[in-house]
Amino acid sequence: MANTACFIIVGRNDIPIYEAEVGSAPKREDAAQLHQFILHAALDVVQDLAWTTSAMFLKSVDRFNDLVVSVYVTAGHILFNGIKSFFQEVHELYIKVLLNPLYLPGSRITSSHFDTKVRALARKYL
Amino acid sequence: MASNEDGVFDRWEVINRKIKIDLGSYQKIPSSAISTAQMANYLAQFQTIKNSCDRIVAAVEDVSDLWPTVKELFEQHQPLKRAVLTNKTRNPVLVENLPVEFILTTDARLRSRFPHEQYLYWFREPYATIVLVTCEDLDEFKNILKPRLKLIVQNDEKEWFIVFVSKAHPSNDQATKNAKKVYAKLEVDFSSKKRERCCKLDIHGPDANFWEDLELKITECIRNTLERRVQFYEDEIRKLTEQRFMPIWNFCNFFILKESLAFIFEIAHLHEDALREYDELELCYLETGSFPTPVSLSSISVALTIHVNMPGKQREFGGFDSEDDQAALLKPGSKPLTQMVHDDSFREFDFRQYLFACQSRLLFKLNRPFEVSSRGYSFVISFAKALTFHESVLPFCLREVWVLTACLALLDATASHHHDGVVAPDIEKEFYRLQGDLYSLSRLKFMRLGYLIGYGTDIEKSPLNSACLSMLPWPKPAVWPSLPPDASSEVLEKEKTLLQATSRTKHFGIQRKPLPLEPSVLLRVANRRRASLSTGNISEIFDGRPGFTEGSGLEASPRTPSSLKVQAAPMSRTNSSPGNFESPLDRPMRLAEIFVAAEHALRLTISDHDLLKTLSSVQDFEHKYLNLTKGAAENYHRSWWKRHGVVLDGEIAAVCFKHGKYDLAANSYEKVCALYAGERWQDLLAEVLPNLAECQKILNDQAGYMSSCVRLLSLDKSLFSSKERQAFQSEVVNIAHSEMKNPVPLDVSSLITFSGNTGPPLQLSDGDPGNLSVTVWSGFPDDITLDSLSLTLVATNNTDEGGQALKSSAATVLKPGRNTITFDLPPQKPGSYVLGVVTGQIGRLRFRSHSFSKGGPGETDDFMSYEKPTRPILKVAKPRALVDLSAAVSSALLINEAQWIGVIVRPINYSLKGAILHIDTGPGLKIEDSYGIEMESYMETDCDAGATKAEVSVEDSHVSPKRDSEVLNLCEGKIVFSEWASNVSSILWVPVRALSEKLARGSSSVTPLKQDILEGMRTVALKLEFGVHHNQIFERTIAAHFTDPFDVTTRVANKCNDGTLVLQVMLHSLVKANLIVLDAWLDLQDGFVHGKSDGRPTSTFFPLVVSPGSRAAVVFSISIEKTMPSGKDLQLPESILNIKYEIHGDRAAGAHNPVDAADHSVADAERRDLVFKSAIVLQRPVLDPCLTVGFLPLPSDGLRVGKLITMQWRVERLKELKGSESVEKQHDEVLYEVNANSENWMIAGRKRGYVSLSEEQGSRVVISILCVPLVAGYVRPPQLGLPNVEEANVSSNPPGPHLVCVLPPLLSSSYCVPVK
Repeated sequence: MANTACFIIVGRNDIPIYEAEVGSAPKREDAAQLHQFILHAALDVVQDLAWTTSAMFLKSVDRFNDLVVSVYVTAGHILFNGIKSFFQEVHELYIKVLLNPLYLPGSRITSSHFDTKVRALARKYL
Repeated sequence: MASNEDGVFDRWEVINRKIKIDLGSYQKIPSSAISTAQMANYLAQFQTIKNSCDRIVAAVEDVSDLWPTVKELFEQHQPLKRAVLTNKTRNPVLVENLPVEFILTTDARLRSRFPHEQYLYWFREPYATIVLVTCEDLDEFKNILKPRLKLIVQNDEKEWFIVFVSKAHPSNDQATKNAKKVYAKLEVDFSSKKRERCCKLDIHGPDANFWEDLELKITECIRNTLERRVQFYEDEIRKLTEQRFMPIWNFCNFFILKESLAFIFEIAHLHEDALREYDELELCYLETGSFPTPVSLSSISVALTIHVNMPGKQREFGGFDSEDDQAALLKPGSKPLTQMVHDDSFREFDFRQYLFACQSRLLFKLNRPFEVSSRGYSFVISFAKALTFHESVLPFCLREVWVLTACLALLDATASHHHDGVVAPDIEKEFYRLQGDLYSLSRLKFMRLGYLIGYGTDIEKSPLNSACLSMLPWPKPAVWPSLPPDASSEVLEKEKTLLQATSRTKHFGIQRKPLPLEPSVLLRVANRRRASLSTGNISEIFDGRPGFTEGSGLEASPRTPSSLKVQAAPMSRTNSSPGNFESPLDRPMRLAEIFVAAEHALRLTISDHDLLKTLSSVQDFEHKYLNLTKGAAENYHRSWWKRHGVVLDGEIAAVCFKHGKYDLAANSYEKVCALYAGERWQDLLAEVLPNLAECQKILNDQAGYMSSCVRLLSLDKSLFSSKERQAFQSEVVNIAHSEMKNPVPLDVSSLITFSGNTGPPLQLSDGDPGNLSVTVWSGFPDDITLDSLSLTLVATNNTDEGGQALKSSAATVLKPGRNTITFDLPPQKPGSYVLGVVTGQIGRLRFRSHSFSKGGPGETDDFMSYEKPTRPILKVAKPRALVDLSAAVSSALLINEAQWIGVIVRPINYSLKGAILHIDTGPGLKIEDSYGIEMESYMETDCDAGATKAEVSVEDSHVSPKRDSEVLNLCEGKIVFSEWASNVSSILWVPVRALSEKLARGSSSVTPLKQDILEGMRTVALKLEFGVHHNQIFERTIAAHFTDPFDVTTRVANKCNDGTLVLQVMLHSLVKANLIVLDAWLDLQDGFVHGKSDGRPTSTFFPLVVSPGSRAAVVFSISIEKTMPSGKDLQLPESILNIKYEIHGDRAAGAHNPVDAADHSVADAERRDLVFKSAIVLQRPVLDPCLTVGFLPLPSDGLRVGKLITMQWRVERLKELKGSESVEKQHDEVLYEVNANSENWMIAGRKRGYVSLSEEQGSRVVISILCVPLVAGYVRPPQLGLPNVEEANVSSNPPGPHLVCVLPPLLSSSYCVPVK
């Protein structure tokens, strides 16, 4: 089954700092926006849940028809929306980005290296 | 089948055996043979009985006809205030206000029942039996009443107690006594130690305790009965449950038992237990059911087994009844159970709703509307799935309609039961969230229905609606409804509205593909599902597009429905030519036909008139849609799900906008934009912001509109095409230049950012202006002309003071991207400055930007730092000396001669380019205008000032080879510095002449001359203006010392016998230069004549060189003129010494050859010699004084305070007084006077008086006087004066005032003990 996934890293203050449309299905033009819309709305759920559980990985916090929102909350309350081992590896990548002294926490991740790696991981896990 | 039959009714036989009652026909009907109708009979009876009984019943056995008397009293004390009952888990539960109904055993309701009915519907049987008796006679009690009572209470199934009613009046002692006796007997007979079964009611006496007692007793009975009955039902249920998975299982039996138990709990107000029973019933129903939505994994296998065992015994789903589209999930009585029953079970459609209704009824009784919501929501979801499964057989869109009505019913019921503040805030929040979810769900279904009948054009194609609808599959009826034959006019009408509906073009000419509202093209789906249409036809329509899978779960997967739709929609329109109306069965339906067909089908499906009405017209549809949206938004807001809430606000705004309520729309859009902007979800913001802008434009909210345009411009560039961005910009510019009343302030921080240039900050000295260059990034897509642009700087050390605004030159054009703007910087206060705010004006628009960009546009696009920049852009140094002016020479110059006065100008790390020096000479000094001012570079060396100018220039030559000296002309008291002198120290030579009228005076050894140092002092006030705008001013007054070349001292070296005096004239050089004396001569005053010579020293000695600071002497011989002409006017009061000299000195060291003398081409011969004249006073010798006063020495032990002492003076006549007029009168007496400071001295004796002194030479007299010193220290002693004698004639010894030492008083010896 062709699948599609939208992966967004949301920074503190709920600002998206990285976005990627990954998945094997051909890209639907309007999908990106709808996915963003759904993920944004899911933040309402996440904000309720994030403080009630200590688990990082919140599987299927929200369902929107046949789209499932999964969330991975890091200790610093940065949210990863998307699957567990994928999340974990991307989290590692994110930490590497964070360690970069030139990266200002909270700003957009524009590193092409990061982007490539994330997409590779997406192919691997999703 | 026999075994089956036995198995099923085993349990009932057990019941029967136990209660020893024949169940009659009921027992004998085999389960498989029970027809639906028969089962329905039982169910109907069961339901009727259940409905007719709503409270616990207590039977009243009225033995003595007392009931009419006490009934009133009994019923007044209802309900039971506090009843402690036992729940299913055998735990005591306190039930308050439990109603109990009292029914006489003789009442028809209890009497008429057949015994088997009693036990089948045991819940309605009395829980307690109250035996009412009265008796006043003991014998009567023993003989009649007691046997009767024994008979009544012998049935151990009953819970009973006896109420003895005493009718005796308190005043009637006998009757009271009898009653007491009888009651005592009664207690003995019927109460046991274990249980009190009697209580006594005095009708005429106040007995409050009785009612408490009665309540306790009734409660006890109820509790016991309840326990027994619950136990019984539980046993039965357990037995039946064990057989659950057997084929002979009959769910109806189980249901009756279970619901009976639940009902028992319910009437006992044990709602929790009742609810649990219903929950278990539901679970059991779902587990044993054969429908494909198993609750747990374990039950799947069970369900499958049942299928295998009993093929064809699939439970009927239901949902075909007339009002089934209206969800009955809160109305347990909406449909009698008999209508739900099917075979040995119930139809799922009705029964699950019935169960949920029972559950929610209990939940409401438990006051837990929240739970109704939360259970309700999941129930609706899971039930909708069940409906989906059966969709193909159900009426068209029944699922949608049912979900819609179910949500609305839940919303109504829960909202009316919910009261704010009753539950914990968490629960309340969750409750509102659920309400929001229910509203959303109903809204979604309502939209779907609306879309199906053609209101799609009125649904905003927002991300929310698109996300909801485009991912929700179409309904899948087995056959898509076809067009009724007489609907052609409706189709035409619909077609017309479709044609009229033009999609609203977005403001700014934004071209966006509208978001889809269809999961897949409706036209295609509808036509595919029509029975009559062959696949071939479909491929005709859709160009044989291959590989479309429809009806699977993939519907929502990203295909490209929008492009298909674009193709399909116009095609359907061109096909529709009125008049050429073929039978829709033959050809694919057009869109309008699909809508009309769906509308007709829905009219059949929907039984609720209100709902039908909301779908009957666009206006009604919109009204309902708005209500649902508002409800959802409001509840989400209450639950703090702001994102959901705000997004729905956006939907409300869209409707408001459509109806021209632009202010409301703008408000809501504003909220949505604020949310997205705050969280920087730019893609989403880009969708909404143009709508807001449009509202603002219509509302003529220019400030808001411009702000929106600016925000649009500052969004990610990829979100809008450059053409759109240009449109935004032109809107801003147009409005800014339009006629606005007031200037509009606007924050453009996101669009215009700025930063200082890289590199070190600009450094300025205090008071200096400068130019500050700043990089400004413009986010505008085109060049934009700013009418003005200014920048404030903020001092880092002083934040409270608002920065000063720097104005840029008039109009600035900002190119897209990077611009460098230069600002004129007026003098700033010392400190370091960072960039503050950029403000500017475009037409009437006043914009300001706070945002400091970090660097290139690549980074600034996405992320802007709102932090203040920390890197200073400008540093203004604290005030410091920038230049120093000082006199080059400290030694004296020649007075009355033109001399160079040197001024050293020393710039201190600061350029003196174009500096102007004002020179103002003080009194007694003038500038020799005829000569230019020489300026040369100055090398600061430690070497002596003797270094010549030539040397200096040689040393300096490598620094500035071209020019390091020049002659400047003084113009109006000022000179302008040359370029070369900007940064090097230089020296100015100013020709000046100090004027002094005074003739130099020589001094003699006799009359030493006090040289007045200030006499030769002259000042020059200097004022240097420098800096870029001559803003820096340095003022200094330098002092120059002028002097004569020589200091002349004379003395008579020798007095020759012939009266010739040898006059030695000493010349002390006062200048730091070699003086060459060429000649010297004396012009003698009267009374003196030259000696042998002509008044000149021997010429061979000349020239005489006098080194700086050294002395030379010239000797003249003079003699006193013997015959001094008396009475003749003195021609020369004093002698004049003339010295002709030359001077060899360096102006850098001190005095030097005068400017004019050293000048140019003047030949040596014509050279003006320098002549120094000095007056010398020669005095003829005077006579000796005639009197002398000598102060005699004081005693050797000195003076002490308080010690008497004699002071003595000796007065002696030195020569005879002859012809002296002054002493003519009393020539043998001298007047004396002692003067003393009375603070220091106490004087005894005559202070003033005459002493005789002979006129002869040498006569002497001693004047003594007693005095006591008063203070210790050095004090002046008393002095003796001779007032009558001229001072000149008195010689004093010591000649001047002197001091004596006065010791402090002696210490008393008695206090001073020497220590050894």
